[in-house]
Amino acid sequence: MTDLRSELDRQRGTERAQAIRALLARPLLTRAADPDDFFLVARHAAELVPWFEEHTGWRLSVEARQGYARLAKVSARPDGTRPARRLRGNRDPFDRRRYALFCVLAAELLTGQVTTIGILAGRLTQATAVEPVIPTFDSASREDRRAYVDALMMLERFGALTATDGSTDAYLEHADAKVLYRVDATRLARLLAAPQAPSRLPGPDVAALVREDRYDDDAERLRHSLVRRLLDDPVVYFDELTEAERAYATGVAGRRVIRAAVEEAGLQLEERAEGMLAIDPDAVATDERFPAENSVPAQTALLLLDSILAAHPEPVPRTVLADRIAARFAELPAWARTYRSDGGAQRLLGEALAVLERFKLTIDGEAIRVRPAAARYAAAPAASAKTPRPRRAR
Amino acid sequence: MSDARPAFRRVPADMFAFTTTERADLHTAVMQVFGEAAERLRAALTFDEVLAGLPEIGWHEPVSDESLEYTLGALHKHGLVDRTQNHAAHYTSAAEYERRNLHYSLSRKGEAAYQGLLHALDLLDSSGALQTSVLDAIAARLAELDTLLGDEGADDRRVHTAVTELEGHLTALRSGVVRFNGRLQRLLRDEGADPAVFQEVKQATIAYLTDFVTGLDTRRLTIAEAVARVEERGVEALHARALRGADLPVLPGQADPAPRFLERRAARWAGLRDWFRPAGGGRARVEDLADTARSAIVALMRALERLSETRRRGSSTAADFRTLARWFSTAETDEAAHELWAAATGLWSARHTHLAPDDPTAVGPGTSWFSAPGVHVSPLLRTHGQSDRAARTARVRDTTEIREQRRQRALRERLELEEAWSRLATPGPVRLSAFARLDQGSFSRLLELLARALTVPARDGERRASTADGRLDVVLLPPPDHHLAYVRTARGVLVAPDFIVSISESRPGQAAPVPLRTDFRREATA
Repeated sequence: MTDLRSELDRQRGTERAQAIRALLARPLLTRAADPDDFFLVARHAAELVPWFEEHTGWRLSVEARQGYARLAKVSARPDGTRPARRLRGNRDPFDRRRYALFCVLAAELLTGQVTTIGILAGRLTQATAVEPVIPTFDSASREDRRAYVDALMMLERFGALTATDGSTDAYLEHADAKVLYRVDATRLARLLAAPQAPSRLPGPDVAALVREDRYDDDAERLRHSLVRRLLDDPVVYFDELTEAERAYATGVAGRRVIRAAVEEAGLQLEERAEGMLAIDPDAVATDERFPAENSVPAQTALLLLDSILAAHPEPVPRTVLADRIAARFAELPAWARTYRSDGGAQRLLGEALAVLERFKLTIDGEAIRVRPAAARYAAAPAASAKTPRPRRAR
Repeated sequence: MSDARPAFRRVPADMFAFTTTERADLHTAVMQVFGEAAERLRAALTFDEVLAGLPEIGWHEPVSDESLEYTLGALHKHGLVDRTQNHAAHYTSAAEYERRNLHYSLSRKGEAAYQGLLHALDLLDSSGALQTSVLDAIAARLAELDTLLGDEGADDRRVHTAVTELEGHLTALRSGVVRFNGRLQRLLRDEGADPAVFQEVKQATIAYLTDFVTGLDTRRLTIAEAVARVEERGVEALHARALRGADLPVLPGQADPAPRFLERRAARWAGLRDWFRPAGGGRARVEDLADTARSAIVALMRALERLSETRRRGSSTAADFRTLARWFSTAETDEAAHELWAAATGLWSARHTHLAPDDPTAVGPGTSWFSAPGVHVSPLLRTHGQSDRAARTARVRDTTEIREQRRQRALRERLELEEAWSRLATPGPVRLSAFARLDQGSFSRLLELLARALTVPARDGERRASTADGRLDVVLLPPPDHHLAYVRTARGVLVAPDFIVSISESRPGQAAPVPLRTDFRREATA
């Protein structure tokens, strides 16, 4: 009996951990796009809401009937490397134009429950025409139409907009395409998660936008701040923390709290002298992987990391790394074909270094410096002896 | 003499036609002139009096005699205005006589149309409300009737007034409900209004409805009991006394108004019962009213909740989005825009490594990353961008997934098999060399079939066999010549004597495959 009980508890714990990581990866989880994860979250909503409140101070709303769960993530240091991405083509990041159109659209959509792609485009034109700093939307311009469609598709992905007739990408071809939309105003409102309302701030100020007034308890603020970072970031280095945060993270009580939170999320905590990181063995709660398969920049990043680690503690100039890539090109003639055109090597160097930077393994500059967690990925000398000679890549 | 036809069939076709023509303005104004005159007990108007009456009701544009004449003619044609000869006036000229000898007055239909018009305007203006006071009034009148009926000496005229008042209140209740419900539904639909106003209106409505519903329950019981008491004393007696009190004039040449009076009273009483104490113990309409009010409260609360979710932020969400749009447009770089996106929406994904050291407890937390054991990165990842998956086993074994994968694989294999078989089936006997090129799956099937056929003894030079499951039959004849067959597969070429082969699906009920054609046989044995 007790065995059964504890087995069930364990299973519930595993499910809850999965739900937590699903929300960490997709803070707006919809029944339409991720049914399995959504139902998992809905099933454990009663425990997840207080869990996020307790450990991170993030508000979780689960609208089981409406079919979405929203974790309102807040960070004191919002990250510029995790953009919204287009849902078509190469998943390129949104640019300023697309972000702006997305927001104007959201504002216009709040006033009605049903609309069409054409009416909406008209309203977008009017709304942008009266805003001096926003370039006026022109539905005759192909580029504007593309940006419009990207913004619409993003709204659809979030379920703030549902095409009840027709398909959004028809608009790419001609501006008189017919698409009928239903609007979910509540979900639109839920897209905003910043603790401060932008319209009440005097000007563009990200720091003011994320200011949280809720804390009068220091211990709570420290706990939330550290757990948030660990649940969200690839590495947390002690030298990035404030004095108080560092004391909390290395103290006995703080470590216990942090470890509990990370483990309840199904992650593994790695504690080292220079910092900590949470490992997600299933790679559920991550937007990208490193090391990664089938990705030339990730593969190159690993290659460059070897060189940078070998030079540690000396920094490695970019030119040396560029040479390393050139040598690789020569060594494997069939490798990384798409980067062999003009300037391709420089592009590959940039992208590979960006991967390392995103995982907080290097510090970029004129010369590249390694950060401590990079040592995790060092090629083990014993293993390299056993490595078979690489076959020629096809 | 109640009319059995439903209301929608009884409306005269042209009753309200005057409000829809091109000259509707003047037509309606003239109707109003008649209506106002009737209130002053002036039944008939001359042409000039109508003309003079127009400014009094607020018509200040000049009206030519022709258009007024046209209007009066049109109203007469619709049966709204009666025209009578005026013999009392003095005429000084023939022209004057022609023009002014007529008296105009509203017909019965005209009166009804005018009242209908006023009522419609009234409804358009009114906001619609449910008044608990109406319910109180109904209860009070019923109590009064109870008392009056108990007192034989009471004035019948008092009974009549009380019945009339009661019916008036009931009518007020019904029309109030219709209007209120309409307004409520509009309110529930109307989401796009200014949020501040919307919130105020809805909050007020909720407070009002809550009061109403609270009051409704007790009042409903009071009225139902009062209805029961009056009925105990006899509704027919009540209406008989009301009829006496009404003192209806009986005019020569017209039907006795009494039966019609009683009939109407009975109908109204039945209406009252429907509302508060339905015969047969059915559902009282007032309960529907309570339900509607209750569900409206819930719906409004929900709408308010949604709104306060929007307003939680202190200012309107739309303004927030517009502000953000401006900020995005003025961002220095795309990276700054990404940062703003993260700050405003919190819609970013976590980012973690998925590789863990083999033994996480090997070193203490004070160890530097530089001296701690690293994670196992597949060497192939460095060279080929592929990891040797076999090197590491999956950390979590999900048996349901494995089972599903196996099921899928079995299904896939089954399908491949089916496909291979169908590909092997020949239209009739063919030479082995006809299978010039085969995929690996079909080729091994073919080999299996040939092997089976070749192991059975030949009868009459012919070898027959079937697959283990009996799905396919094969018939093999030795080659008539010394040709060789070359069957190519991805892995190599099969060189064999060019047998004559016939492969067919064995169907149930069909014992043996179709025998080989004789010309082939001859060829084979030759």
